[in-house]
Amino acid sequence: QLDRGCALHTAARAGLSSVPSQDVPAGKPRAVFHTSESDPAKHTEQHEGRLYNIPLEEVKAVFPHGLPRRFQQQIQTFNEARVMVRKPALELLAYLKGSNFSHPAVRYVIYGERGTGKTMTLCHVVHYCSRQGWLVLHIPDAHLWVKNCKELLHSAYKKDRLDQPLQASVWLKNFKSSNERFLQEIKTQKKYMWGKHESTEEGRPLGEVVEQGLARARSASDAVGVVLRELKQQSHRGSFRLLVAVDGVNALWGRTTLSKEDKSPVSPEELTLVHNLRKMVRNDWSGGAIVTTLSQTGSLFKPSSAYTPQELLGKEGFDALDPFVPIPVPNYSPREFESCYGYYLERRWLQHEKALTEDGKAELQFLSGSNPRQLDRLAGPL
Amino acid sequence: MAAPSAAGLGRRLRAWLPRIMPVRWSRYDTSYLEPEVKKESYQKPVEELTEEEREQMELKTVRPIKAAPPTVSSSVFTDPMISKFTNMMMRSGNKVLARSLMSQTLETIKRKQLEKYHKAPENEKETIECNPYVIFHQALKNCQPIIGLSNITKGGKTYQVPVPLTDNRKRFLAMKWLITECRENKHRRTLMPEKLSQELLLAFNNEGPVIKKKHVLHKMAEANRAYAHFRWW
Repeated sequence: QLDRGCALHTAARAGLSSVPSQDVPAGKPRAVFHTSESDPAKHTEQHEGRLYNIPLEEVKAVFPHGLPRRFQQQIQTFNEARVMVRKPALELLAYLKGSNFSHPAVRYVIYGERGTGKTMTLCHVVHYCSRQGWLVLHIPDAHLWVKNCKELLHSAYKKDRLDQPLQASVWLKNFKSSNERFLQEIKTQKKYMWGKHESTEEGRPLGEVVEQGLARARSASDAVGVVLRELKQQSHRGSFRLLVAVDGVNALWGRTTLSKEDKSPVSPEELTLVHNLRKMVRNDWSGGAIVTTLSQTGSLFKPSSAYTPQELLGKEGFDALDPFVPIPVPNYSPREFESCYGYYLERRWLQHEKALTEDGKAELQFLSGSNPRQLDRLAGPL
Repeated sequence: MAAPSAAGLGRRLRAWLPRIMPVRWSRYDTSYLEPEVKKESYQKPVEELTEEEREQMELKTVRPIKAAPPTVSSSVFTDPMISKFTNMMMRSGNKVLARSLMSQTLETIKRKQLEKYHKAPENEKETIECNPYVIFHQALKNCQPIIGLSNITKGGKTYQVPVPLTDNRKRFLAMKWLITECRENKHRRTLMPEKLSQELLLAFNNEGPVIKKKHVLHKMAEANRAYAHFRWW
């Protein structure tokens, strides 16, 4: 019953039913840490602290971008993607299940100290929504849009704005690969001109706008803006549910490290991508939800001890996001730590002889402080 | 009056200063004892200790104890060989960087071996070694030369004379060769963990440039067998 091997070779969208794991089968005490329930919709408190498997084809379809780098390496090494079910994610899923979609979109902000699992919680929610058939607008890291841009073009659409063709085209490519079927169904409601000769007529599928953005890098940022605007206007009709998932939302209201040709600093409003994303994160549309994460790790000009929404968003960001539902993500509880440790042992990740002993386990718990990222980094060389 | 006493003082001072000045000397007095870091030695009940250990414990109550250096730790995961290797990789005292490179190397070795392990068929799984520490120690052992060469000058000419090596010298040579091989003979843009993990895995299987260097040294020693009698120690 707990054997992962026999469980779930499912198609990416087929709903499944399977019995959640309950008892300890004889002779396999470690398998308690796994659950064969691969559908996030069915995760409840009894699955808390357990790891569920996402089939690899689904990982490629749902997460073309967005998973943390160390987790991607782990998927490649272990040949499977196991995500732990934790309380903040369960709380968020309960809110999403009970939300009324005719009301304006509720904003959820996941915050916590460094390395506690905010991005993984966001990925859990994204997986749930894509299983339920929502349209997922996943921005993997908003900090990438405000720093290290090699090319900044002056926008043809608005005088003072700056375009970022590279970042926009990368995002469009990933967006296209994860939401193919929606791009054929949703139609544009207005005619859009791309420069003097090219245009997209009214009533064409949104996929054409995305193709245009990918083909012409100059208009990629404008294509992103068009996509966001269309989705926002059409989400209230109810034909699809929209999830806006932004990781590192504090980048939208901070400072940037970019500068114009005359060496003057660029503020975030002057970037097309950031401007359009700010409009998306406002709660003036209905028919979906907005789930965001704060992140100090990639942030600019913020002290490393800052983790609360007030510190990271600043006054401007907090006022823009207010009201929101804050969801704190703590370090591992003792049960979750046991689960993670057992998983590493079972996949032969902890190879040191002393790591298998009680002393080694106590030392790992002490040194990492039950912080998921520290535990991962410590267990690497062991 | 001052001149004869100054000369007498100089003579007496020179007699007091030893002819050889030691370069490395400890600030500690001889009465200081070494610190005991391992947790197991404190967990033994009093009855199980032997006579010497009881004496040692009593000595510890009266004698002062040296401060423990930052390199020794009471963690169960420390390994003196790995610490030595890390120190040899260190440049300009940047121990943080050297240690992080070492842990990344061990992790890279583990990842490569685990990927091989998961892809291998069932019957071959036992032969694949996944423990990076085992691989490291075995690779070092495989790289250690048995006999070395030393320059001895006799009659104006310098000869390369085959000479036995101490354990410490063998370990040092193995580590030195590995590190120089990784630093010099690789492409400029590959990172150290990648290079080192590759070299360690090759040395574990008795292949690679470091093993070749060891064989070259052995062959030279074999070729110069005739001069072995020049050695006087």
